[in-house]
Amino acid sequence: MSNKPKSPVGRLLRRNISAAQLAAYALANFAGLAIVLCAMQFYRDVNSAFDSASDSFINRDFLVISPEISSLGTLTGGQAAFTPEAVADLESQPWARRVGAFTNAGFRVSASVDFGARGMQTFLFFESIPDEFFDVRPPGWSFDPKKGEIPIIVSKDYLALYNFGFASTRGLPQLSENVINKVPLRITLAGNGRIETFSGRIAGFSSRFNTIAVPQRFMDWANSRFGENDTPSYPSRLILEVDNPGSPEVTGYLASHGYEVAGDKTDSSRASYFLSVVSGIIIAVGGVITLLAFVILLLSLSLLLQKNRRKLTDLMLLGYSPAQAARGYLSIIMWINAAVLACVLATVTLASSWWENRLESASVGVAPLWPTLLCGFIALAAITLLGYIRIRHTLRRYFRP
Amino acid sequence: MIETITLDNLLPEVFAGAENQPPVSTSGVWMRQLELRRGRRVLVAAESGTGKSSMCSYIYGARSDYRGRILFDGTDIRTLTPARWCELRRRSLAWLPQEMRLFPELSVIDNILIKNRLTDRYSEPELRAMLARLEIDNKASSLAGHLSVGQQQRVALVRALAQPFDFIILDEPVSHLDARNNAACAALVQEVASAQGAAIIATSVGNHLQLSNSMTISL
Repeated sequence: MSNKPKSPVGRLLRRNISAAQLAAYALANFAGLAIVLCAMQFYRDVNSAFDSASDSFINRDFLVISPEISSLGTLTGGQAAFTPEAVADLESQPWARRVGAFTNAGFRVSASVDFGARGMQTFLFFESIPDEFFDVRPPGWSFDPKKGEIPIIVSKDYLALYNFGFASTRGLPQLSENVINKVPLRITLAGNGRIETFSGRIAGFSSRFNTIAVPQRFMDWANSRFGENDTPSYPSRLILEVDNPGSPEVTGYLASHGYEVAGDKTDSSRASYFLSVVSGIIIAVGGVITLLAFVILLLSLSLLLQKNRRKLTDLMLLGYSPAQAARGYLSIIMWINAAVLACVLATVTLASSWWENRLESASVGVAPLWPTLLCGFIALAAITLLGYIRIRHTLRRYFRP
Repeated sequence: MIETITLDNLLPEVFAGAENQPPVSTSGVWMRQLELRRGRRVLVAAESGTGKSSMCSYIYGARSDYRGRILFDGTDIRTLTPARWCELRRRSLAWLPQEMRLFPELSVIDNILIKNRLTDRYSEPELRAMLARLEIDNKASSLAGHLSVGQQQRVALVRALAQPFDFIILDEPVSHLDARNNAACAALVQEVASAQGAAIIATSVGNHLQLSNSMTISL
């Protein structure tokens, strides 16, 4: 028994098929799609890593900037602050989505805490930023003057400073974040002829947001109650929501205006920007290869249909519809594309698991794989469909007497 | 089902401008009103170059380089969609072209099955029995391209019969056959056509298909 196709139509139309052309198409399509999908997944993974590694409640597209403090300013005692013109100029930049001002406390703050018999008291400062700049607000991130409890977000660096720089040398207990969250604070606010004490609690920690932050609502209330006349009218720090913090437009603007960016935001953003540019280039190269592969497929199909034109016309004269005559070629494209898809999906899964293991060992989250695999499936389904449409179109042309 | 095929002032483009000269002026088909009815047997006799193969191709929708109209039960065939043509070629119109158009790379039986599978009109043993009546059943597994022209004509005839039809158009079906094979072919065609009340339109330049009770038209 031979293992020829069962249908005589299949046997007829499979002739003149160039295995080399189809193999070239399959190989090129595999290479192109594998590059595109690997670059996509890598970009998504690393982006997700940037996101999970950045501040827990502030998005990585936010930048905190302050004017550079000059030596002259230090000597003269002049305040470095953003004038309304500077803020307006920032807001007018195409890459700036939102600009928010840090509000300084116009009063004195001190906090005390009791560790059993030992107590500790320190002067503090408060700042606030508009609530809408928070991605996720810690529970109870608000202030009610009647209840009088002040939620505070503290930089993680301060906790580290206390634990490793202060507590260990003074014989004080080291504190975890969970413990600190439960430690009651006594906050004393003084100014405008008033001294009042409130309870406070650390509501959260920030690794990128380098301040002691309180809710805007509290700050507005406290400034009106305790604020003194020399309350600075211009903000000294701004928070910016930008399209891409690492892009040259942003970094160039900030550098030319002498603004400093808090934390390592721009470093990671620059890396992220670089990554997005490199990923974009790789995806484009992969896309071009895929496109060329598709062109190879179309040319191979055109050649095949041209070679088999007489047979196809004869089949249609026997009563075969263009769709029926096309079916034999569609099944070829479908089988090749299914094989390409299987190879591409396997390659992307293997490759991504290789780098995801490394990312996960660095305790950063990775993006789910299925959207990337779905993109691969959609791309090949689209190629199959376009190939089929091309065949149908050609056969309909052959059909017309 | 098609009851009547009407040729209304039909003229091949190639004869345009020569309407008053032979072969058009002497033709019983060109520039005439001709009705072909289901159940009839028509022999179209003509000399070479008078356009009989063209006429067959026009009726079957394989070519459209003509003036005038061809009507299937009053419908101009220029208005038919590809889907309708497919349906007609499967169930109403059978055609044996002069050049036969067999697939030389397929076996004899595959050439017939490729047509028969569209409607499953006959079983394979029935098709082999038809080949046997035309004395080519021993060639069923041979490649069609390896057969003589006379053998190919008989294979193409069985293929044309392997469907239901109202009209079968046979373009010089026995031009390469001897009288005995001609008679065998004619008997088979008439038997199959009569069984379904179909019309036979056969062309010839000399070796006529030996149809009984046929009307002869000179092209």
